[in-house]
Amino acid sequence: MIVIISDESSGKLGVALKEAAGRAGAQVVHFAANTLHIKPCAACGSCSGKTYGRCVIRDDMQQVLPKIAGCRALVLVSAVVFGGVSHHIKKVMDRMAAVGDPRYQVSGGELVKGMSGQGMSYYMVGTGDKLGETERSAFLFLHEENRNIMNTRGKAFLLHSSPDQAVIDNIAQEIAHE
Amino acid sequence: MNKPEIMLLCASSRRKGTSAMLLERIRLVTGGEVIFLPQKGSLNEVILAMQQAAAIVISGPCYINTYPARLIELLEAASLSGGFSGQKLYGIINGGMPYVHTHRHGLACLRLFAEQNHLSWQGGFVLGGGAMLDGKPLEKHMNRKKIVPAFDLFIRHIAEGSPSPDSLYEQAQIPPGHIMTRVFAKLLTFMVVRRIKKHGHDPDAPNWYLRKKE
Repeated sequence: MIVIISDESSGKLGVALKEAAGRAGAQVVHFAANTLHIKPCAACGSCSGKTYGRCVIRDDMQQVLPKIAGCRALVLVSAVVFGGVSHHIKKVMDRMAAVGDPRYQVSGGELVKGMSGQGMSYYMVGTGDKLGETERSAFLFLHEENRNIMNTRGKAFLLHSSPDQAVIDNIAQEIAHE
Repeated sequence: MNKPEIMLLCASSRRKGTSAMLLERIRLVTGGEVIFLPQKGSLNEVILAMQQAAAIVISGPCYINTYPARLIELLEAASLSGGFSGQKLYGIINGGMPYVHTHRHGLACLRLFAEQNHLSWQGGFVLGGGAMLDGKPLEKHMNRKKIVPAFDLFIRHIAEGSPSPDSLYEQAQIPPGHIMTRVFAKLLTFMVVRRIKKHGHDPDAPNWYLRKKE
């Protein structure tokens, strides 16, 4: 299963990717993060202790977390905001610790963590028109660091705000057949 | 009415955590007031304070390799509001991992915010191993011999309103070597597993959300 979580407040790319991935033969679940009620992570530590593997905050993330826990690929879609993702998407990211593995491993000579279970591929799709090189590099850097600390594979894509259908189809194919 | 010289904004919800401790250390030198970013509700008062300050220092934790969502939300709202005119902006980000690269995206984010909104980016400080401090003084940091003088020099830049170079925090942080990394991995994992088992859970069990269906 592929989980696509997008901020649709600046475009409907999440829906378009979902449809394209479906045509490519994948089972897909899509959430529009900007329509969900998601509270900030409280850094309470419960998900790595008292309620191991479960977030105690009762909000719409309780619908999202089971899907992330069981997916083989997670795709985050957002306008590029100051070289990163929008706050709607970042709220989802911040709450993902519950489905991460809190234990430490060593990879490439550094401490890393990982995701629970068999892990997943991790993709980010950023959109924006006239993005400068610094902003593009920052977005790709964020994805690389996320991938590194999650000890997973995946790729980041940077697109115009209204990408061609062919571009969307290519990305969907790549994710569906990874 | 005089505008406040410096605004010290804590992006963490923890009043006694590392992010707040670092701002308090700055406040003792520069004066000003430590403001805590409200975790819900309107951000208008914070944005107004940012517009009225001559210099802004933002200190926050690193969540998933950059600042938390609520601070991103503030930056988005502040950007829409506009009204900035050359305020000096400094940033501090602290995270558990002992590597600068793990946390430095937060400063890149602040720099881009400054550039796109007529603020003047003056530099920042990345503190690895900060979560282990858990609000204790910087003198308790495992790299204190280099970190303390480097951070105090960063404070001096803020007090003088001068740019602070990345090299200040880069040279102050020494990642653990190959052997120590393996030791840390085993030790930290032991502590995590002990805590998980103490609460009656099996660290090797499938995630709770997958078992919930069973």
